[in-house]
Amino acid sequence: MMLEGRSISKGRAEGTVLKLEDALSFLGGVDASTGELRVQREGNVAGKVLVFPRGKGSTVGSFVMYDLMVHGCAPAAVVNSSAETIVATGAVISSIPMVDSVDVGLILDGDRAVVDGSEGTVELPDVKVVESSSSAVVIGGKVLMLHRPDGARSYPGRWSLVAGKREEGETPLETAVREIREETGLAVGEPDASEGPLYVREGDIIWKVSMFLFRLPDGAEPRLNRENTEYRLCAPDELGSMELVPKTLESVGRMLRL
Amino acid sequence: MHLTDAEQAVLDGESGEGAQKAMELVVALGKVYGAEGLVDITSAHLSGASYKTIGDGGLKYLSDLAAGGAKVSVPSTLNPIGMDRERWAEMHIGSDFAEKQNEIVRLYGAMGVKTTCSCTPYTGANVPKTGDHIAWAESSALSFANAMIGARTNREGGPGALAAAIVGKTANYGLHLDANRRPTVVIEADIGDSLFEHSLLGQAVGMRIGGGIPYFRGIRPGLEEGKTMAAAMAAAGAVAMWHVEGVTPEAAGCDLEGLETIHIGKAELEDAFERINTADDVQLIALGCPHLTEREMHEIASLLKGRKKRGDAEIWFCTSAAVRERCAEDVRVLEEFGPVLADTCMVVAPIEGSFSRTGTNSCKAGNYLPTLCSQKVMCRDIAELLKVVS
Repeated sequence: MMLEGRSISKGRAEGTVLKLEDALSFLGGVDASTGELRVQREGNVAGKVLVFPRGKGSTVGSFVMYDLMVHGCAPAAVVNSSAETIVATGAVISSIPMVDSVDVGLILDGDRAVVDGSEGTVELPDVKVVESSSSAVVIGGKVLMLHRPDGARSYPGRWSLVAGKREEGETPLETAVREIREETGLAVGEPDASEGPLYVREGDIIWKVSMFLFRLPDGAEPRLNRENTEYRLCAPDELGSMELVPKTLESVGRMLRL
Repeated sequence: MHLTDAEQAVLDGESGEGAQKAMELVVALGKVYGAEGLVDITSAHLSGASYKTIGDGGLKYLSDLAAGGAKVSVPSTLNPIGMDRERWAEMHIGSDFAEKQNEIVRLYGAMGVKTTCSCTPYTGANVPKTGDHIAWAESSALSFANAMIGARTNREGGPGALAAAIVGKTANYGLHLDANRRPTVVIEADIGDSLFEHSLLGQAVGMRIGGGIPYFRGIRPGLEEGKTMAAAMAAAGAVAMWHVEGVTPEAAGCDLEGLETIHIGKAELEDAFERINTADDVQLIALGCPHLTEREMHEIASLLKGRKKRGDAEIWFCTSAAVRERCAEDVRVLEEFGPVLADTCMVVAPIEGSFSRTGTNSCKAGNYLPTLCSQKVMCRDIAELLKVVS
């Protein structure tokens, strides 16, 4: 998978991802002479692709990054959601490749990553992209939710929209219409709303999800095939309590308002 | 971001490695701020001068940069360092620190920076003109330059300002653009004439609005009042630009329609005073944040003349080398009480090794002494502070 971001500091480097969930201050957060982390989690930044949302704290943090480089303990590369001046400055003066404007939620601790700071890209060679479509089928104002069996390969045991992988030669809309027909027996035409694609990380896969919303009249009755165990028609405000695939709830909320 | 052919050539390394690295930094910071291009600057003022604040990482960076032949291309001055270059022993500073500090100054000098080491470059060493685009670090100096002079700068950081000084350009965004220099709030100030009240005013406004561009009514700040207000507003908040009706150069054209008006009077100044004050007795009194001007040196000398030093508390007077030289008469009076130090101040000096309670007349110092120097603070006007030692 190739993530397209923005070039902040040039150069190319490969390494294993060390992921931090919160903003990082290099001053106080990382030992300048060893690379050991002092905050958030155990670990050492030396030679790692350091992934975190953004920098924070003292401007001296830029010089801590330089000090790490002098001691041979600098990260191989830095990836942020949004760069700020302290880390951007530190990366440039220390010649550490850096990319920002990347969804760091798609990168997991331990991933192998190739960061190209000149092109502004982050490649995850061991992670593949699978395209899918996911549809909110709205019957009489309620959203059709399907329950995946515990043995399902993707998101087992969860409630889900009507979703499935794109097959060779299909457009995302064709995938959506086919999946709805196969999984629920319902026939839909043109979507009432669409969004996407969304990108969602699950294990070694990044799902590229095209979102659709179809409205059907009250009384339309789904007939499930064996892919799902039960269905439920939920009022939009009930969806929040179900453990949906990340990002899909927000997307349905936006499409319902259209 | 759009670069001209000449700028792209520097980025591609055609002017050497030092300039290339500097251009990379200027461009990266421009991207972070969403700048569309660069703007030529007429001067730079650099922070990141004290060994205490930049540490070994900063020292190594400067030393590599200087060894690579990097040179500034516009007149550039330096912020205060961690000690008086000759009188560091009187500040209880060890020779290790002094050696590294002097090396930092030497490296800046080798890159062509004027090593005047003051936070008030606008009083002599580096005076921009109205409308000049400049790249200044040091929050109090850049705020003074924007507001009182009408020059144009963002809040630059140390390495960014140095990179801008090397390439002679900085990212064109924020306060370089007309649209971002307009007032965002009106401040009706109801305060007295004293310098200390202007410092508290800056503190109160910084606390109240955080950021934004205040438009003041009811005050007529001169050099010293403007200096202390700018410093306090930038430390208590992130204010880098402000206007004063009938005083500052860009105030006349300001459109105030629809802006909120905030009243700052006695009660707000008392809140600011309470916020800053955490000590009732002190081991050190340090005056000169920002650096003392000639007028302040005269006033302090006139208050101390004919009196005798008393008590155990030390007193330091911090100013620029130029002012110290010009005020020889006053210096003789002040030296009876404590050292008149040049090139440094209590915030960037490593005072935490020797003191834990410090007196100041500056709300800026009042904000930074607890965090940067682990001090409890007594913040009073100069006359009251002088009573402790005379």
